[in-house]
Amino acid sequence: MAIVVNLDVVLAKRKMKLKELSEKVGVSTVNLSILKQGKVKAIRFSTLNSICLALDCQPGDILEYVD
Amino acid sequence: MKNFKHIFVAVLFIIILSWRSYYFTFDDTVMISTNILIIVFFLFNLLIRKKLLFKNYLINQYNPLTAKINREYIFDILKGLMFEKIIDVINNSDFNLVEVNKEKFEILATTKFTFKSWGENLYINFEDIENESLMTVNSVTLFQIYSSGKNESNHHYLLNEIENSLIV
Repeated sequence: MAIVVNLDVVLAKRKMKLKELSEKVGVSTVNLSILKQGKVKAIRFSTLNSICLALDCQPGDILEYVD
Repeated sequence: MKNFKHIFVAVLFIIILSWRSYYFTFDDTVMISTNILIIVFFLFNLLIRKKLLFKNYLINQYNPLTAKINREYIFDILKGLMFEKIIDVINNSDFNLVEVNKEKFEILATTKFTFKSWGENLYINFEDIENESLMTVNSVTLFQIYSSGKNESNHHYLLNEIENSLIV
């Protein structure tokens, strides 16, 4: 049971680099890398909102609950 | 218990000062030499504190002029990424990032001068352990045989900053 972060999948679909997303969202590449690996403690709604806006996706595309 | 320790050190310090002034006069050669030696060591430590090269001298357990606390922390993030993360954390904290060695994965940060301390050095280095990283943090005083809890609070502060930075 875990929350899986599919940021890399969405990035690949949009053909976007992490650095590009970092510039659009205003979150450092280090933090996005850690988020991509699912190692963060929490994600702010504002960050999620910015990522969804930049990638034109839904929160559910990025976060998934796996049983 | 912690307060008792501080009071004990203060009393000891006063006793040593009284003993010094009782046995030695200001024109005494021993007194002057001791004072010069103390100043020379202080200036030497002040000069070398901003160089990673002198890390081993300051953190050496046989160096009686510095108080140090060494701790190890394990994170489930790989060494390379954790190294970048800590640089990020230090830049956004009250610590001053002084020197970074990207080849050896070593970081030197300092704290600001306060009434309680001349400022401490933080030596951080990383090692990979399978899918985790081992971060070793050494908090060292610049010229204090006894630390009034600053080294301990540096460790707490750094850990808090890391925890907070993991909320993106």
